[in-house]
Amino acid sequence: MMRRLAALAAAAWMSCGAASAAGPRIVSMNVCSDQLVLSLADRDQIIGLSRFSRDAWQSWAADKARNYPRLSGEAEDVLLLKPDLVVVSLFDKRATRDLLKAKGLHLVEFTVPRTLDEVKDQIRAMGDVLQHPDRAEAEIARLDAAVARARDLADVHHYRVLPLERRGFVPGDSSLISSLLAATGLSNAASELGVGAGGFASLEAIVKLRPDFILVSEAGDRAEDDGRAFLLHPALERFYPEGKRIVLPERLTVCGGVMLADALDRLTEELKRVTR
Amino acid sequence: MSVQDFALAAEVAARRRWGATAALLALVVLLCVLSLGIGPVRLSPLAVIEALFGGGSDVAQVIVREIRLPRTILAFAIGGILGLSGAALQGLLRNPLASPSLFGAPQSAAFGAVLVIALGLADVRSYALPVVAIIAAFGSVFALLAIAGRNAGLLILILAGLAISSFAGAATALVMNLSSNPFVVLEIAFWLLGSLEDRSFQHVALALPFIIVGGAILLSQASAFRALTLGEEAAQSLGVDVGRLRLYVITGVALGVGGAVAVTGTIGFIGLVAPHLMRPPIGHDPARLLVPSALTGSALLLAADIAVRIIPSTSDIKVGVLTSIIGVPFFLYLIMRERRALGGGVA
Repeated sequence: MMRRLAALAAAAWMSCGAASAAGPRIVSMNVCSDQLVLSLADRDQIIGLSRFSRDAWQSWAADKARNYPRLSGEAEDVLLLKPDLVVVSLFDKRATRDLLKAKGLHLVEFTVPRTLDEVKDQIRAMGDVLQHPDRAEAEIARLDAAVARARDLADVHHYRVLPLERRGFVPGDSSLISSLLAATGLSNAASELGVGAGGFASLEAIVKLRPDFILVSEAGDRAEDDGRAFLLHPALERFYPEGKRIVLPERLTVCGGVMLADALDRLTEELKRVTR
Repeated sequence: MSVQDFALAAEVAARRRWGATAALLALVVLLCVLSLGIGPVRLSPLAVIEALFGGGSDVAQVIVREIRLPRTILAFAIGGILGLSGAALQGLLRNPLASPSLFGAPQSAAFGAVLVIALGLADVRSYALPVVAIIAAFGSVFALLAIAGRNAGLLILILAGLAISSFAGAATALVMNLSSNPFVVLEIAFWLLGSLEDRSFQHVALALPFIIVGGAILLSQASAFRALTLGEEAAQSLGVDVGRLRLYVITGVALGVGGAVAVTGTIGFIGLVAPHLMRPPIGHDPARLLVPSALTGSALLLAADIAVRIIPSTSDIKVGVLTSIIGVPFFLYLIMRERRALGGGVA
């Protein structure tokens, strides 16, 4: 589906006769598509990245993004840049997307992937859009290799892991993180909490559940706000000190993209650390 | 009425006061026990008692001693200081509508706490939070009393309080918007709605010292409040320095409310409701009202916090929402009762 859309968009662009040898000039308006574009496109194909592209907390490719212009997030500067294609997420502002479409720009809309397979589809689709399908295949191969490495380690033990976010939010079965855990053969303790599509778990319920490890996005013991303080509650720290916390930085898991290979390698490393 | 009759009436009143206070105390103890027994994980009463005294499984121990016990202590202490603050402010201003939340004190304290978080200055579990919250609460009550003047009528107090709490709410939202913290929306909800969820002994250590000092200051002024019922001049002739009394009350309220808000967010209307519930059994003597009002505040907040845990809901109801839902109609009822005073006798 994704791929067909992308091919359509690419075809639409080429039918406009704007094709050049270097492939389409692209603007990305979403921090997730930024990272796909940055890893698959040629340098001169990228003429603008999203407002949050340089945010190291959200983007795995924040450093790389510094070499490119950053957009405001509004329609104005995109119109001015006259890109061949605009990559957006369906979660971006509707009004902005409609305006760009109305002004005759070609938009490629990406959804938020929920599973590893969807992620691979998106990588492929972006490869087609950027006319670099070979690079996309290479990234997918890298992802598969990382899955295999993690599986080799995790599959043996079937540890019960509970992904836990600020304020006790537990991502549900359909989240990307669950898909990562499933791919490696780790057992996701979230299903035992009955949070379904994701929800807040109480401290008491977590303590009672006693998964082998909790998966968090940050190490350290500073609580910059109340949501983070939840994860540092003494009751949780008693059962889950540093040695029982798998730390996967948010920037590796918040988007589904090529960085998931790094996320899986990090997961493998962390598993080695906590099971030592 | 003969002297004997008078003595008898006084004795009956005293007995009723003690009876009411003892009943309140029993209620508070009962609610504390209930609060320890109720939570998302079902534990039998026996298991709770066992865990409380260090027996049973380690999971039950952690649940009771590290999750439920701090929550119960905070509900007791914060409810108490809010009730006491309300009674003290009503005594100081000789005005039944006075209370911390109507004066914008919790809202201002929340602004202070949010400011610390938004600027990323300190850990939320450090003393920076209550200290800044207390300064903000002090500023708001001080400003209110300064604006309203010495013998302010109800209308002026309420209008000034409304302005200050709206201002504090807007400032809180603005600070959150300007913050680099990406989770502002949930954080705003926490600070504006108030919750006792998942607090720990770190929070108890953060709030309790300020609450105790604030409470002690307010209680120490009991006789001054009584003298004040005779009017400001009479009180002065009895040796009450009204200016200093005001400062003491503002300080006590700011310490208590600031310390409380720094760990729970704003919890409103307990300070307004508690003294009113106690006037029928206790009488109108503001000195005698202080302790029963504090106990009533504790009972109200404990009960509200138990209620949010047992009301079935898809996501957690915040305890501050519940106190407001009960408190606002009560406030409206009070306004109706005070209509004559508010309307200048025309209504």
